[in-house]
Amino acid sequence: MEEHYQHLYEALSQVDGYIYPNEIDLHWGLMIVLYPYITGLVAGAFILASLERVFNIKALKPTYGLALLTALAFLFVATLPLVSHLQHPLRSYEIFMTPNPTSAMAIFGFVYLWYLMAVLLLEIWFDYRRDFVIWSKTSTGFKKLFYKVITLGINETDEKSAKLDDKLGYFITVLGIPSAFLLHGYVGFIFGSIKANPWWSTVLMPVIFLFSAMVSGIALVMVIYMVVSWIRKVKIDMLCLDTIAKYLFYILIIDFTLESLDQIHRLYEAEESFHIIEVLVGGKLNITLIYMQVIFGTIIPLSIIGLFQIYKPSEKIRKIAYFFVGILVLIGIFFMRWNVVIGGQLFSKSLSGFTTFNAVYSGTEGYLMTAVWLILPLLILTFLLWLMPPWKKVSVHE
Amino acid sequence: MGTERIAKNRRKFFQTSAALIGGTIIYSLIKPFEAIAQTEAENSKEGKGNLPLWGMGVDIESCIGCGKCAEACKMENNVPKEPFYFRTWVEQYTVKNDGEVKIESPNGGIGGLKQSVPDEDIFKSFMVPKLCNHCTKAPCVQACPVGATFISPDGVVLVDETYCIGCSYCIQACPYGARFMNPITKVADKCTFCYHRITKGLQPACVEVCPTDARIFGDLRDKKGDLVKFLQDNPTQVLKPHLNTHSRVFYNGLSSEVK
Amino acid sequence: MPKLIFRLFLSFVLFVSVFILIQNSLTPDSFGKYGHYRADAIDDNKISTSYYKGEENCTTCHEDIFDLKFNDLHSGVNCESCHSPKINASVECEVMPPVIEGTLKLCAQCHETNYARIKIVPQLNFKEHEEGRNCIECHNPHAPWELKE
Repeated sequence: MEEHYQHLYEALSQVDGYIYPNEIDLHWGLMIVLYPYITGLVAGAFILASLERVFNIKALKPTYGLALLTALAFLFVATLPLVSHLQHPLRSYEIFMTPNPTSAMAIFGFVYLWYLMAVLLLEIWFDYRRDFVIWSKTSTGFKKLFYKVITLGINETDEKSAKLDDKLGYFITVLGIPSAFLLHGYVGFIFGSIKANPWWSTVLMPVIFLFSAMVSGIALVMVIYMVVSWIRKVKIDMLCLDTIAKYLFYILIIDFTLESLDQIHRLYEAEESFHIIEVLVGGKLNITLIYMQVIFGTIIPLSIIGLFQIYKPSEKIRKIAYFFVGILVLIGIFFMRWNVVIGGQLFSKSLSGFTTFNAVYSGTEGYLMTAVWLILPLLILTFLLWLMPPWKKVSVHE
Repeated sequence: MGTERIAKNRRKFFQTSAALIGGTIIYSLIKPFEAIAQTEAENSKEGKGNLPLWGMGVDIESCIGCGKCAEACKMENNVPKEPFYFRTWVEQYTVKNDGEVKIESPNGGIGGLKQSVPDEDIFKSFMVPKLCNHCTKAPCVQACPVGATFISPDGVVLVDETYCIGCSYCIQACPYGARFMNPITKVADKCTFCYHRITKGLQPACVEVCPTDARIFGDLRDKKGDLVKFLQDNPTQVLKPHLNTHSRVFYNGLSSEVK
Repeated sequence: MPKLIFRLFLSFVLFVSVFILIQNSLTPDSFGKYGHYRADAIDDNKISTSYYKGEENCTTCHEDIFDLKFNDLHSGVNCESCHSPKINASVECEVMPPVIEGTLKLCAQCHETNYARIKIVPQLNFKEHEEGRNCIECHNPHAPWELKE
């Protein structure tokens, strides 16, 4: 407690201008930056998978299973930053018991639990069921037990059942696309519906969140595909990689357009909050917004992939470029979440001053915790890839 | 023939399970709306005359910025003494001759507000007490994901300390900066109009100690009461009217510089 | 009807039913009575201890001081504005008088010169006015214009 007060006294001495006395402490920190980031990765990876399944972009077939498993691995971890952040985490079940129908945040329980868990798990199940049955016959130990249980006793491997799995999987994926939109759109709405905060309150917020989520998810799958192929020492399907990069490019353009529209609109209307926001962007958010999010996270990736649409260099150069671009985009989108969450709390609602944000290393809101929540899904993914390797699949959907 | 029977059984099975599932889903969807329907029924049953509708008037022309209200509030409501947690506070506005507006509230005004700009540079200066506005259309109540903050039937926005999960969404939603996260109880905290006092016929602590009667507390439904008289005698305004929060704290003498 | 769909349906129905059962048992009883909140919380908010007792309470023992104050300029100032109640559960009402060294700070809260302060309140620069001396050496706080000298 003393340490906490010490930290606050320090922040008090660094206040610039006037802030309401209660605003000295930022209530939403790194954990709340992480939550939209992780759910964004989930939604984005899922959309990439559905591009193949529903929109029949055959070139993306090599990454279909990988994208789904990535989405699942990150989905398992998605709630954890939120639980780290709550002051009373043991009461978090209340969101499921008495969700307030007027609260955007209350949708979390139902979207997370009902739609995406059901949708994602079902889709993976339909896709892998036949493989589980076949694998259960040839494996031993834990794997054998897992495969046997997960089939829920439905052991047919004939054509008819495969076709049924296929149809149901397709149906679930179609259902999953709006669900994925809802999963991340509502997070944008959580911010966009706060009329008290002019940095957050915009109609575009859910849409911006959605498109930046798709961008981050696609970039993630691209990077993971390259890393996994390198670890397995197999040749990367360049057509697939080029296609992923192409979609990354298109959606990044849309994302950039939306974000620019938001800022241009703000600049043009220049209403009451404009002055403080101008100072915010030019000052405290200068590095994280102008450099990290816009230049490194958007402009440079757009330029590189854009160039490749006109002039295609050798495979080797493209691979390195794609990897570099993927990492840049992932970092850029992380900072986009940072700029929204932290940026929105740095200036006072009196529009007359700023407080400071000093992230700590330890504790439930620190950098260390952030690293844990980001590395954990990668470990889970490794486990899932060991348990259900997409490249060992016998049955592949139409 | 046999398949027909099987098909019929299957159909029946589907019909029953669909009915069951449909029924459960519809039931779980209706349940929350039941509460709303119930409230409306309760409201009309009780009649508006029975319960008061609490509000507060703030007379900026009388406030001397002594800070006793902020101090009394902290003592009465066990708010931590550190300068980061305030249920109510007083701001000092100094409009300088060059147009710059300086706003200050060191320790929420506790200990008295002190002049920080020399007389010759001042265009005008005044003190503004701030507190939770107990909005009739409170954005904080709208935002709470679990229903831990609510408007009581007599118009006071309260927090259920045993239910709040500490997500801070209400604090983000409040346009007036009236809420804070209590470091001891770890739930959202804010001015309650001293609910434990007003329901016993006492005045809130801040109103009790104000030496110049700058705070007027009362029942908006009491046509003969002090608050209604204050509203009728003075041109009053609320803070941030463009946000349409239907705030029930009314200011007399609110100058345009007030944030 | 494929075993598959049947079993999935079954698990779904089971899950929903169990969820609704849990929901009904874990939701507090008074929840939803007046709105989307636990109605008992209204009473919970009424429970807190009141420390400030009001002027009438003080006059039961200190009527003479009250009468003195009533006839002078501090008549509008409540006893508890300056004498904040000390929290002492064992005593019905224990008042904490401002410590002698402290009167300067206490009186300055209202009376220090401030451009923003309304002129009805007499204000002075405390440094210049009898610097270092305590206000109550000359002024009776309950009747401030009755000077002691």
